[in-house]
Amino acid sequence: MNERQQSRLPMRVLFSLAWRNIWRHRRRTVITLSSIAIGFGLAVLSIGIGDGSHNSMIRNAIKLGEGHLTVQPRGYLEAPANYKYIAAGGSLATQLAALQINGSVQPRISLQVLASTASNSVGAVVEGVSAADDPRTEMLRPMLLEGEWLQAGDERGLLIGYGMARKLKAKLGSKLVVMAGKQGGDSQAQLGRVRGIFDSHMDELDDFLILSDLSFARVFLEGEGAEVAQQPVTRFAIFLDNEEQLAHWKQRLQESIDQSALVALDWREMMPQLVQFIVIDDAGNYVFLLLILMLVVFGIVNTVLMSVLERTREFGLLRALGMGRYHLLWLVFCESLLLSLLAVVIGWLVGGGLHLWFSRHGIDFSAMMAEGTTIMGTFMDPVVFTELSAERVIQLTVIIFGATLASGIYPAIKAARVTPVAALRT
Amino acid sequence: MALLRLEGIGKRYRQGEVEVEALHDINLSVTEGEFAALVGPSGSGKTTLLNIIGGLDSPSSGSVHLNDTAITRLSEAELSDFRLFQLGFIFQAYNLVPVLSALENVELVMVMQGRPLHERRERAEHYLELVGLTAMMHRRPSALSGGQQQRVAVARALAAGPRLVLADEPTANLDSENATALLDIMHRLSHEEKTTFIFSTHDPRVMERAERIITLRDGQVESDETVATPHHAS
Repeated sequence: MNERQQSRLPMRVLFSLAWRNIWRHRRRTVITLSSIAIGFGLAVLSIGIGDGSHNSMIRNAIKLGEGHLTVQPRGYLEAPANYKYIAAGGSLATQLAALQINGSVQPRISLQVLASTASNSVGAVVEGVSAADDPRTEMLRPMLLEGEWLQAGDERGLLIGYGMARKLKAKLGSKLVVMAGKQGGDSQAQLGRVRGIFDSHMDELDDFLILSDLSFARVFLEGEGAEVAQQPVTRFAIFLDNEEQLAHWKQRLQESIDQSALVALDWREMMPQLVQFIVIDDAGNYVFLLLILMLVVFGIVNTVLMSVLERTREFGLLRALGMGRYHLLWLVFCESLLLSLLAVVIGWLVGGGLHLWFSRHGIDFSAMMAEGTTIMGTFMDPVVFTELSAERVIQLTVIIFGATLASGIYPAIKAARVTPVAALRT
Repeated sequence: MALLRLEGIGKRYRQGEVEVEALHDINLSVTEGEFAALVGPSGSGKTTLLNIIGGLDSPSSGSVHLNDTAITRLSEAELSDFRLFQLGFIFQAYNLVPVLSALENVELVMVMQGRPLHERRERAEHYLELVGLTAMMHRRPSALSGGQQQRVAVARALAAGPRLVLADEPTANLDSENATALLDIMHRLSHEEKTTFIFSTHDPRVMERAERIITLRDGQVESDETVATPHHAS
């Protein structure tokens, strides 16, 4: 052999052989694919429920909290104080309006106060909002136990939670003295009246939140030296119509505000505990996914390895006829590859079907949750609609495909190690 | 000129605590076109010698030359390609790939050789016709009898155009009628295709058809005789 002739095996032939090989034991292949598809379906459902419930919590937290984006005084998040406010709220509002943000911009005033009735006193937070159209209205109005919602320009009206009402022994129409400490050490107080009592089943809201119109809260800022004419606020909460544009609008806000005094934060920065909770909860889902992956991997290893061990003699024959180790390795690897592709396709048919159904009809967890639908200062809707983002679809596909493919490596190496003489003796 | 030369071939291996000498100082040469039988009782070293000639096993000592190539010096990958292009194999049983039809089994080696589709299809059909299996070429091995499967193996071995065909007890699992028919086909094709055949056997019917009988006993060549008029059915 002056010029060495080398063996060739076109990919088309390899895949054709591999395809026929995986269907040698139809029943075994069907059982393996079924178990993978069921595992995949469970993984998709589990991740879909996780993402659906997290997204529901996030959406509610954004509505109840400070929006997708918040513009507030620099340092307020780290150490909130009544004297930290945006003095020229009116001109900033004009500036923000000029940006033509796709969504709404809500002025807000937050105050740490002491609320008292003749019976008792409790520490509380006053949230001065635009009574007519603040998104909190949408969330809390249905939770009003009694009374009515705030009216715009109501300079005395207050909404309190059921827990606070109980502690203060306050009823509809009760007088409430709201007292706030000033930066200089003095204090200032205003008299308000309970217009309504809500029950959100969330202690953080029911025991501590007082909602008022901006006009009521603004008086306290005036006491801190603000000029009412300039419409001072603590922050602007920005609610985007399309949350996909969050990064874009955050960037635009940062470019347009005075960054030495103000800061533009997104909801993740405003609610780090919620983000942390989701990360930890996601970790739990990943553990579940890992267990499913292990089942899938063992399923494939079992099928392909069994098939390799059964064919030791055949591999010996192929090696004797001149098939190189490399081609034998590729042949078995192609079998795993085809199994993996089938597994992913069937897995998505099962998992995707489950997801489509539950994303439309939802899964009702209300029986399991009772009243405990509040988590980390937000609500989780009792009916969870599964959600899967494009990133999740890619992530799940890559993980399952990668795991199933990796599971074919060992059997492929084992097949490639076959020596013809030993194999032909079997 | 000899096609195949074996010089001082020895093979020792360990079986538990005992070292077994399977072959001892085998010297042989086979010329092109010979139809030779390796005979001898079980354990005499026939299969071991065929495996060494075919590059499936390596000798403990000595060398094997096929034409100008010292196959005992080839690397494993080179040996694999050498077997593909220079040798044909027919084993006792399980010769075929079960998921391929008879035609595809015959074509497989030519696919690995890189022959174009039309050429390999033509050759495969031709050799299947020569072994009398045209009507069954699209059947898978499970739909063929033992004798038919062995004939497909013969067609496969020859279609790839080898210099030498090695057959290890090709008739061992066949009944008398099928064994005789297979041997006649092998012998006829050996002459028509001018291909050298070496086959091992301890079947007297097979020996009758050999032109040269090399007898092994205890790993050594006991006798090496050329048969003047071998018996042929045709």
